[in-house]
Amino acid sequence: MINFEKFELANGLKVIVHEDKSTPLVAMNILYMVGARDEDPDQTGFAHLFEHLMFGGSINIPSYDEPLQKAGGENNAFTNNDFTNYYLTIPAANLETGFWLESDRMLSLAFTEKSLEVQKNVVIEEFRQRYLNQPYGDAWLKLRPLAYKVHPYQWATIGKEVAHIENASLQDVKNFFKKWYAPNNAILTLSGNCSLERAKELCKKWFEPIHSVNLIERNLPKEPIQTEMRRLEISADVPSNQLYLAFHCCSRYDNDFYATDLLSDVLSRGKSSRLYQQLVKDKKLFTDIGAYMLGDLDNSLILIEGKISDGVNPKEAEDAVFDVIEELKKGISDKELEKIKNKTYSTLLFSEMSIASKALNLAYYEMLGDADLANQQETIYNSIESSDILSIANSVLIKENCSVLTYLSNHHA
Amino acid sequence: MLNRINAPELTIPGNLHITDAIIGKLSNGTPYITTNSGTQEVIKIDLVFEAGSAYSTHPIIASGCNSLIEEGSGKLNSAEISEMLDQYGAYFGTESGNDFATISLYTTGKFIHQTLPVLKIILTEPTFSQEEIDTYSMQCKQRLAVNMNKVDFLARRNFLNALYGDNHPLGIITEASDFDKLNKESLLSFYDKNYRNKLRAVVVAGKTNTVQEEEIKQVINNLNFQHSNANYNTHIDILKPKNLSISKKDSVQAAIRIGKKMFNRKHEDYFDFTILNTILGGYFGSRLMSNIREDKGFTYGIGSGLATDINDGYFFISTEVGASVVNEALKEIYFEVERLQNEIVPEEELNLVKNYLFGSFQRSIDGVFALSDRHKTLHLNNLTSEHYLNYINRLKSITADDIRMCAQKHFEKSSFNEVVVGP
Repeated sequence: MINFEKFELANGLKVIVHEDKSTPLVAMNILYMVGARDEDPDQTGFAHLFEHLMFGGSINIPSYDEPLQKAGGENNAFTNNDFTNYYLTIPAANLETGFWLESDRMLSLAFTEKSLEVQKNVVIEEFRQRYLNQPYGDAWLKLRPLAYKVHPYQWATIGKEVAHIENASLQDVKNFFKKWYAPNNAILTLSGNCSLERAKELCKKWFEPIHSVNLIERNLPKEPIQTEMRRLEISADVPSNQLYLAFHCCSRYDNDFYATDLLSDVLSRGKSSRLYQQLVKDKKLFTDIGAYMLGDLDNSLILIEGKISDGVNPKEAEDAVFDVIEELKKGISDKELEKIKNKTYSTLLFSEMSIASKALNLAYYEMLGDADLANQQETIYNSIESSDILSIANSVLIKENCSVLTYLSNHHA
Repeated sequence: MLNRINAPELTIPGNLHITDAIIGKLSNGTPYITTNSGTQEVIKIDLVFEAGSAYSTHPIIASGCNSLIEEGSGKLNSAEISEMLDQYGAYFGTESGNDFATISLYTTGKFIHQTLPVLKIILTEPTFSQEEIDTYSMQCKQRLAVNMNKVDFLARRNFLNALYGDNHPLGIITEASDFDKLNKESLLSFYDKNYRNKLRAVVVAGKTNTVQEEEIKQVINNLNFQHSNANYNTHIDILKPKNLSISKKDSVQAAIRIGKKMFNRKHEDYFDFTILNTILGGYFGSRLMSNIREDKGFTYGIGSGLATDINDGYFFISTEVGASVVNEALKEIYFEVERLQNEIVPEEELNLVKNYLFGSFQRSIDGVFALSDRHKTLHLNNLTSEHYLNYINRLKSITADDIRMCAQKHFEKSSFNEVVVGP
């Protein structure tokens, strides 16, 4: 349970405050509702590159990190397909420094050529380090366009290719900022040693003078229903074979999200789960296997990812996964349902351990429509019945809804 | 008109408050350390054993034993055990380092009564069946094969081998064939010697009531394990610093590791070195990050650190850079190291680092698990919270001259090992 207060500034900035007097710190989280799905197909990786530029100085303050560190603070950020999130933690006495920094970069950035050039290089190195110079690192880059034919989820947040990042111009960056970085497209949460009164006072001083923008309604192409199984095989210099199965499913906003999430848990949550017990422990077809729902804001995916044991035929391994799925469709016992609900209960508790994670949770649920959803999750998950999960299994976990990527090792050829 | 140019007034941090842990003793003398705070009904119970790789003939015996303890006990097989725990949303965490091995139970107040017995079950009569050993060793071999394709992994293991040699657990290079050494006898004998007879401490974090406390103590007392708090002696070979260049064809980045054997938290220079390390590569605004990432764009990240165990420690600088800029990156790394030896750190930068580290320490004790981990570290190193108070005091008193002296003493270039793995 996270207690909080909520208010909105005249410019549309939503503010949520969770006061916790037991800590000497405050976590400040700002979520901007813009992600990789909002990018132009010819300029991908932009939302994430932009996140890097947010640290390259703002209109009145040449450096973001230096004054924050001087105030004892620390920060970071992440970008995904749907949103971009910035967070900092700072000793409560110096909270105003956080307001000063965050409000100035919401107002406008410095937009220097030097910062753009350097951050393009940094992001290209990130692209190489995380996606190109790792075994299987590009699997996601290949799987997304297989599963999505028209929706922007067909590219990863890092972008389709290095060239898109190399080609970004300062004008592109400015346009992106004007379009998305505004108080009425953001949620600010404060968690820690900060009262509602202090939050109101600081918000009024630093954020209220920032103008809102006319947000253009998001009009993304809808992914057509998939009607037959898609396959892609990659052969590369990797030590062993891996299997990726992607199934289209509902969005995070949909009521079916909860049953879909529990479905992925039935498959792979914990060592006693079906996929792990049957395919790793009993049949030894895989050395590891997992399933999870991505929870994207538009139509999302359930993903099954497995490391195939050496000497096992990839097709045999794939068939065995579908056997587990078919068996699941025959029924889930009450005990199994209770198990995954208990897992969900403890996961929710463990996700609220630090002030920073509470701040992020509140912002995330506010983005979904209401911060109080953070406190309703347990009840909602508990209301799901086996029949709900089975009905999702029957409509989602079917071959014609599946994209199969087989990543083969050319050592075994 | 709002002044957005000047920073708001800063409050320079004053004194630090650390909520103390309660340290009691179990009937066999084992320290029982509790940190009972937080708002969530979560509980973590760590059983720490003197069963790290320092106590085994090969590190994989120590790590294998640690991982396989939960995979079957008495008449129960691995599936039945995981089922008993998963049913209540709980799970085991295992950790095996150089000094210690830990088995942790993560559970909730609601289900502690149902899950505690499982902890007793796995620790009482682990079976180490051949089937589980085979599955585990296949997983390890595959993971190793994947890691062998990562420049970062190759740089790390060759760097540690250069520092510690082939006879020290940290320096041993594990090959796939080593996993064939895992067998029931070696694991059982390691378990008997180092788990049953060497319970070092029990650390409990989270919101527990007195009934739950008693239940935890009772379960652990009933294990009838022996307590131990004995240091071990490791033979450390004296090795000359090495320069290694290892080829990994077709990689688009090269991994760099530079560093040397250092000391642990009990050394008189520990605090000064920690602060020096922060300036060099220990935070986002560090000199290495500012120069090599934020100015040159050679890398996604670069950092430095001091890794310590109860006897020893080592210092390292690590990064992955574009394959075409390896030499420039190396030049800049040494430039920054030497600059700390030759020039005084400006007052402004030193103050920034002091404030940053103070805030950083506060962050490191945010949340009951984090706070409990700090108390655990202190205890396992035979230190008290005075250690942290001394650190905060040193943070206040250290001068730019002290930093330079520390750099001159410990950053001698000829004492560094350098490992580069790239195309």
